[in-house]
Amino acid sequence: MNPVDEMTPKERMQAILQGKKADRLLVSPLILNFAARSLNLKVRDFCTNGRNMGEANIACFKRYRHDIVYIFSTTSTLAEAMGTKMYFPDDDAPQVETPFLQTKEDITKLKPVNPEKDGRLPVYLEAVKRCVDAIGNEVFIVPVIGAPFTTSAALRGTETFIKELYTDPELVHTVMKVATQSVKNLIDAYVKAGGVPVTVEPIATGSMISEKHFREFVLPYLKEVYAHIHSYGLPGVLHICGKTKRVIQCMAESGADILSIDNIDLKEAKDLVGDKVCLMGNVSPADGMLKGNPEIITTMVKDCVTKASDNPKGFVLATGCEVPIKTPHENMIAFLEAGRRFARLPVHLN
Amino acid sequence: MHMEKSDILHNLAQAVIDMDITRASKTAVEAINAHIDPYEAITDGLARGMDMVNELFENEEYFVPEILLCADAMYAGIEVLKPYLPREAAYHKKKVVIGVVKGDTHDIGKNLVKIMLDNAGFEIHDLGRNVPYAKFIDTAGELNADLVCLSTLMTTTMDGMQVVIEDMKKAGILSRVMVGGGPISPGFAKNIGADGYAKNAAEAVKVAKGMFQGIQIPLVIKTPELVGIRKNQGGMR
Repeated sequence: MNPVDEMTPKERMQAILQGKKADRLLVSPLILNFAARSLNLKVRDFCTNGRNMGEANIACFKRYRHDIVYIFSTTSTLAEAMGTKMYFPDDDAPQVETPFLQTKEDITKLKPVNPEKDGRLPVYLEAVKRCVDAIGNEVFIVPVIGAPFTTSAALRGTETFIKELYTDPELVHTVMKVATQSVKNLIDAYVKAGGVPVTVEPIATGSMISEKHFREFVLPYLKEVYAHIHSYGLPGVLHICGKTKRVIQCMAESGADILSIDNIDLKEAKDLVGDKVCLMGNVSPADGMLKGNPEIITTMVKDCVTKASDNPKGFVLATGCEVPIKTPHENMIAFLEAGRRFARLPVHLN
Repeated sequence: MHMEKSDILHNLAQAVIDMDITRASKTAVEAINAHIDPYEAITDGLARGMDMVNELFENEEYFVPEILLCADAMYAGIEVLKPYLPREAAYHKKKVVIGVVKGDTHDIGKNLVKIMLDNAGFEIHDLGRNVPYAKFIDTAGELNADLVCLSTLMTTTMDGMQVVIEDMKKAGILSRVMVGGGPISPGFAKNIGADGYAKNAAEAVKVAKGMFQGIQIPLVIKTPELVGIRKNQGGMR
């Protein structure tokens, strides 16, 4: 245990979720592919092998003792398991190469996933199981799932898909329904493996689509996803990066209990939706974690805690989006140390 | 029914704003039949519509799907008018090389900037996505480009922008450089020696125009290859 901490990450999260006394707020940098570095793995070797993915996350947790261990490589993993072809750079996260639904007729071939068999989902499941076995008594293992809209965009090709919001809304809904069923199948498999699944919906960010489209094409399916997560007694977490001011009200209506946000002022977010949802964010991954230094990061952490630690529905200190793979070790240490210092309860900023 | 020239120009602009591909093509035919100068039909009709789309985007009334569909309508109209245009005059359009840097395949932001700069009268050379650093430098050199636009959405690839800028200088290429994309901040842009930064496609036009202030930028006569590219992306029509 980190000498400053009085609880394990798991005890802390349980206390916070149950409204009991905790030693401090949760400090959860979005460590995703960055975990590969704890075993000096290239990202491709990390995200294509369940043993590597699991063991790297275990090593990373032992090194940093962060409050949540995420299992993730890319938002398109579910679409990949449904047929989209990916491009795997040597040392970076996979990206969409060829979307599965090349023509509208391809929709007849689209089926919900079998997480035990399809794509790299077995890799993720193995990673979850390894982490649960090794460190699950101390920390929650949280696999990250691309939510229905993001998965659908990766199935059809993002540009084509978002144009079809106008030109073929029926097709959009058809794809969304299958994607939603896939998300639910994957939630079931992760819960069975001992994980606490969360969802990310970056394609529905406010810099991409309007609130009107969010309400029509994104919100109903997110509600279905969080109702499913709640049926297991688990909290719903929704991450959308980029600019979210325009859609944050909708995000708060989705049934998610925690909103992980990126490019929005935390005070503004607190004023808009803080009475409805717990907020999570938002130290800059690029200007802070990657390009900043310990001093800059400490200031950013303090700023986040100042703005949001009094959020009515709670606050989790995090990065706005994924911690860049090349983030220097000392910057990660600075984030965690500043977090442990400023987020101690009750919060005293000086 | 006889339509006034101003009505036809207005309808061209409106078809673009309304994302109506069919109406844009039909109105372009009407423009030809009414003996309207095709160049004027583009500048004062279709392109004017796209300017208004740009404004709607800036005001956050239009988002990415809207811009893509408005651009489809604009290019559909241009397709009809193009055969009637006189051969391109020998004036100098500002040449722009644009692409997403190596390691990154996210190209929607780049495509929006491409559409907006094309509409603003720049000559666009699109290198696509996941573009090797040397390709930017070679193309900028060959074309004697005025501006190189570099885009990325990822923190892992943002350092590539600096490599391109430094290699360009080493190669003695004087093109100006504008950068943008999710993780890019004005501070980062300045640190790596970029001449300009734009937070979105609407701003990219302003920044690019600002760089060449006082220099006449002729409106339109769209780059034909861009029309081709957009058609090929297809699946929609």
